[in-house]
Amino acid sequence: MAATDIKAAPAQPAATAPAKAPRRARKTREAGRSPVMTAVWNTVALGFAAVMGFPIYWMVITTFKTNKDLIAKDPTFWPSSFSFESFTTIFDDKAFIPALQNTVLITVGSVLLGLVVGFLAAVAVARFEFRGRNFFIVTMLIVQMVPLLAIIIPLYVVMNGAGLTGALLGVVLAYLVFTIPYVVWTLRSFIVNIPAELDEAAMVDGCTKWGAFFRIVLPLTLPGLVTTGVYSWIQAWNEFIVANTLLSSGGKQTSMIWLTFYSTTPTRGADYGAQMAGALLVSLPVILLFVIFQKKVSAGLTAGAVKG
Amino acid sequence: MSVTTNDAPATVEPAAPEAPRGRRGFVAGGHYIPYVMILPAAAALVAVMGYPLFELFDLSFQNVNRYAVLVNPSLAEYLGFEGYTKVLSDGQFWEVVLRSFLFTVELVTLSMVLGMLFALLLNRVSTWVKITVVTVLMFVWAIPALVTGTVFRWIFASTGGIADYVLHLVTGSESVKHYDWFADPTVGLYVVGAAVIVWGALPFLVLGLNAALTQVPKELVEAARLDGANALQTFRHVTVPVIKPFLTLSASLSFIWDFQVFAQIYALRNTSPEPEYWTIGTYLYQKGVVSSHYSSSAVISIAMILLMLAVLVFYIRQVVKIGAQD
Repeated sequence: MAATDIKAAPAQPAATAPAKAPRRARKTREAGRSPVMTAVWNTVALGFAAVMGFPIYWMVITTFKTNKDLIAKDPTFWPSSFSFESFTTIFDDKAFIPALQNTVLITVGSVLLGLVVGFLAAVAVARFEFRGRNFFIVTMLIVQMVPLLAIIIPLYVVMNGAGLTGALLGVVLAYLVFTIPYVVWTLRSFIVNIPAELDEAAMVDGCTKWGAFFRIVLPLTLPGLVTTGVYSWIQAWNEFIVANTLLSSGGKQTSMIWLTFYSTTPTRGADYGAQMAGALLVSLPVILLFVIFQKKVSAGLTAGAVKG
Repeated sequence: MSVTTNDAPATVEPAAPEAPRGRRGFVAGGHYIPYVMILPAAAALVAVMGYPLFELFDLSFQNVNRYAVLVNPSLAEYLGFEGYTKVLSDGQFWEVVLRSFLFTVELVTLSMVLGMLFALLLNRVSTWVKITVVTVLMFVWAIPALVTGTVFRWIFASTGGIADYVLHLVTGSESVKHYDWFADPTVGLYVVGAAVIVWGALPFLVLGLNAALTQVPKELVEAARLDGANALQTFRHVTVPVIKPFLTLSASLSFIWDFQVFAQIYALRNTSPEPEYWTIGTYLYQKGVVSSHYSSSAVISIAMILLMLAVLVFYIRQVVKIGAQD
């Protein structure tokens, strides 16, 4: 039960608790607390939110500032006039769109491949008793803890030997290191919770094996697939070291690599407005995913063993 | 393995019957099926993790540190433990390891303590405040580590950086306006670096710990209060034991993330961190990728993996326990 607790719990503060708390429950909860103390705690919490939110505010507001504001002697908290020049600069950069395309291809590839391969293994682990099962599960866990950075050189050597350096496919395959173990760990608990009686009953009712799979097991695992898919997407989208190393020889780059190059080129080095616009655009897909799948993401990230 | 798997408390999930394992449901069939199903996963992991790990050991015993060897691989030869001796007798290596540990301890302590305080705080505020805080935290969580580094570099810039300006507004002193946070690497790493990383780590910890806190039965807390325990005692003797699994888990995860931290420092120092900013992750990158000392970096990698695994035995046990329960 503890496992499910940890998985399901993080979603609560976000949605269930505030939305559902009925008036009566709130009253009893606050019965022992004075309104003065609540006001104090509210202020402290809002201060915390302000500090946490400030870097994001600063990033967003910087992108809309005119050059005049950016080089002003004292930074301004609100732009004197709004300008979209920073974004124009980014879209004028010929490397931006191709980098974005590469990122999308790599991300989609590794999510799909990771889900298919991981799902298969998760079904095996959840529905079969076989020799080496525990070994396989524990290996998955340990694999997750080997830092990608630690194997980056030999990974480059191996990929180079396979002719996959400079190719997007090499990066996709490399990302399987973190997608597969996570998918297996998370989906496993989803599948274990589907009673085998359900698909047996479907088969008694005339379904074929594949019919039972597609009608019973797959739909019931779907929430898990979404959670792990979103998680894998975020991981792949944000990954930097592997992409940077494996793609260094092929003239290809991902958005994250583009971002670091962009902010270090002599001409762009001081253009913080454009840098922040680039940073914002690069993180936008992940921000959107978080907003849409908020509950699933926070639940999924705490489930099983995660690596950041 | 089976020892750790079996010691799951039997009382944890009374509702769920012993899950029927073996060949059941739609997959009932031959013995070979599970092996076929895990084959792609196993093959992929062997190819992109197993074999490179083997290669890592192989490299660590060679002399692939010089340009000549890189260009002409036939010059590569095995040196036995010479590479290990070289790295381990290098003062800089120990300096980096020590710095990594100090930095990690700082980060884990700071983020766990702050995370816990704010998680407790969230239980005492009005609903609308809670929603506001949670929303902000979700946005913070969504920002990629590399971007975080870039944003904080701008915030702490010595010209036009908002941190200096706010300090100037608070203190009224004109000289702090152009204070260079990165001039002293100790400040740059342990203050700004720590701020970047803790900022990014807090959402997971605050939301996770807050959720764990909701698992603490109200009756237990009330009973402790009736028995005369003060808030601190109640927290120590009632709350902590209940949320201990999540505490261990999140502390271990924080350790994993913080010990191997790379992207934030890399972006914070504009892709070329100075030696005083090197923690084991950046050091490894510098040696291996930037200056192509493949064999030395292999030794460093192995040291890094061993150091992490040594600390993480707790974590593995915890997860295996949790995993065994469903």
